[in-house]
Amino acid sequence: MEKVLEVKDLVVRYETDDGIVHAINGLSFSIDKERTLGLVGETGAGKTTAALSILNLVPDPPGVIAGGSIILDGKDVLSMGEKELERMRGNDVAMIFQDPMTALNPVIPVGQQIAESLEIHEGLSREEAMEKAKQMLEQVGISASRAYDYPHQLSGGMKQRVVIAIALACQPSLLIADEPTTALDVTIQAQVLSLMKGLIDNSHMSMLLITHDLGVVAEVCDDVAVMYAGRIVEIGSADDIFNHTLHPYTEGLFDSLPNLKARGEDLIPIKGLMPDPMHLPQGCSFHPRCPYATEACKTREPELKKAEGSHYVACIRYNESSFCLRRDKDAR
Amino acid sequence: MPDSNTLLEVRDLTKFFDTPKGKLHAVDGVSFKLERGKTLGIVGESGCGKSTTGRTILKLIEPTSGQIIFNGEDITNYSVRHMRRFRTQMQMIFQDPFSSLDPRQSIMQLISEPIREHKICTTSAEIAKRTLSLMDTVGLARRFLNSYPHELDGGRRQRIGIARALAVNPQLIVCDEPVSALDVSIQAQILNLLRQLQRDIGLTYVFITHDLSVVRYFSDDVAVMYLGQMVEKASSDNLFANPVHPYTKALLSAIPLPIVGKDKPVRKLITGEVTSPVNLPDRCRFFSRCDMCLEKCSSACNPTLAEIEPKHFVACHLIDKEKKDVQ
Repeated sequence: MEKVLEVKDLVVRYETDDGIVHAINGLSFSIDKERTLGLVGETGAGKTTAALSILNLVPDPPGVIAGGSIILDGKDVLSMGEKELERMRGNDVAMIFQDPMTALNPVIPVGQQIAESLEIHEGLSREEAMEKAKQMLEQVGISASRAYDYPHQLSGGMKQRVVIAIALACQPSLLIADEPTTALDVTIQAQVLSLMKGLIDNSHMSMLLITHDLGVVAEVCDDVAVMYAGRIVEIGSADDIFNHTLHPYTEGLFDSLPNLKARGEDLIPIKGLMPDPMHLPQGCSFHPRCPYATEACKTREPELKKAEGSHYVACIRYNESSFCLRRDKDAR
Repeated sequence: MPDSNTLLEVRDLTKFFDTPKGKLHAVDGVSFKLERGKTLGIVGESGCGKSTTGRTILKLIEPTSGQIIFNGEDITNYSVRHMRRFRTQMQMIFQDPFSSLDPRQSIMQLISEPIREHKICTTSAEIAKRTLSLMDTVGLARRFLNSYPHELDGGRRQRIGIARALAVNPQLIVCDEPVSALDVSIQAQILNLLRQLQRDIGLTYVFITHDLSVVRYFSDDVAVMYLGQMVEKASSDNLFANPVHPYTKALLSAIPLPIVGKDKPVRKLITGEVTSPVNLPDRCRFFSRCDMCLEKCSSACNPTLAEIEPKHFVACHLIDKEKKDVQ
């Protein structure tokens, strides 16, 4: 399979006055052509920093990309010059942010905001770009007559559709969507997700979908990567992650979800809190919260190892014969 | 004769706001009864009036019309001063633990404030003792006593909010999206805590949320709101197993389920968006988005809640049709 994006051993730190925040600590994953990878994790796992690194947009200072490589369509993003980066952003990779209210310019009509990226990247004239912008609006389910409306005249769902239209206007090979539907109501979320899925399939794009919502992942993604404290702890196909879970943290995420439980049954939360990224624990960073942790987990840092086929896991215990996750025990 | 088991009864509650464009129907004829020790979940999308309903019940917002009966007493027209006495019995937990706590107060001050304010304890030794015991109840380590809200994470801040609500020994707590701002693993901790408290001290909850999975897990009864009105109300199990109103069906079908593979149900999408709640015409409010509507839905007046089976209420013209079909 041809790879659109390959991230290898990425390390990103924020050097603040209070100390060094270890946001990304050796992150590796790749996205194949026409595949959608879901990047899942809780607040502070480093999901958004990972996305910003791909665009080389980590705010510097305080952010420092301290190591690793990011290969996009065969080119290393981290060694690109400013000119090259500008061409790449929007053209090869586009990003959708969580909050459509702040992603749009409030004083420019939405049609013009879509046309702008077409003028810059495709070299279209103003009229041609506006024509294409109207087509894009129709594609995302907004009447072309609204091209002259300002963002405040549109609802939240429609604004997010406009943001999607801007992102897809230049047909990038990779779309990064950072919590694209978190700010929307469920019925609108369902509409926007199905729209995104349709557009991506039709234009043969790949997508990196960042979310905390495992439901959204199950709906949209082919592959899933679970992130914890700046590292991937488990990665594989959606079937691998959802039906053949291997990592205790992934299991913890599933057991915290109320919708899979019968009413009245207690939820099984993950004990404790996300570790402070300034003082990450030794060994496996999940060990203080892990119900299966042993002495060895406190000192040995687990590597991401192949478990089966496309399924990789970073846990030193996963292939011990005595080791069995709660959910597998219940199934037996 | 009031039913002694009923803690809260709301009859035909309305709240209209005057806007330059006309009358905004925030809450429009909401009625329900809530038994002691039970949880009523109110779900709906943004702007459906669920938060306004919650606040109006507590009289944080004055209702336009209708009745609020708490513990057999009609509190609808009580003055702010008169309501103070009731504040110890009804409390609220807010969505955002980041903006609902005074950043300049320590945890000690924050939790002891309602104790002092309502004179639950008088001597400072008693107040300190109660503050500490409340911290234990909600699972806040005592070492945070002199910390400030910004030093704590969202889950702990929400625990402070819960401790503040519990401080005055309330019977009813209105929880307005209490876990929406939290990560799933922390969300589960807080939901477990709220449930534990209900078991231990028999709290009654009105649980307002947009998250259907949470409401299903947490509530005994669920009411679905759309544009200020309840369109369906039933026991949680019944509502999720047999939704009747087209909006409820659409809402349930829109939940993204964390399931991959063969058991995954097919989704049904509804088109369009919520219409403006200003100057609503007298017809079914879901009309413009409904894919099951009948001819008469465009002309007939707004349907009211009807009991289609014991304790299952639906407001939809389809019900009359089904009834006729059966006959």
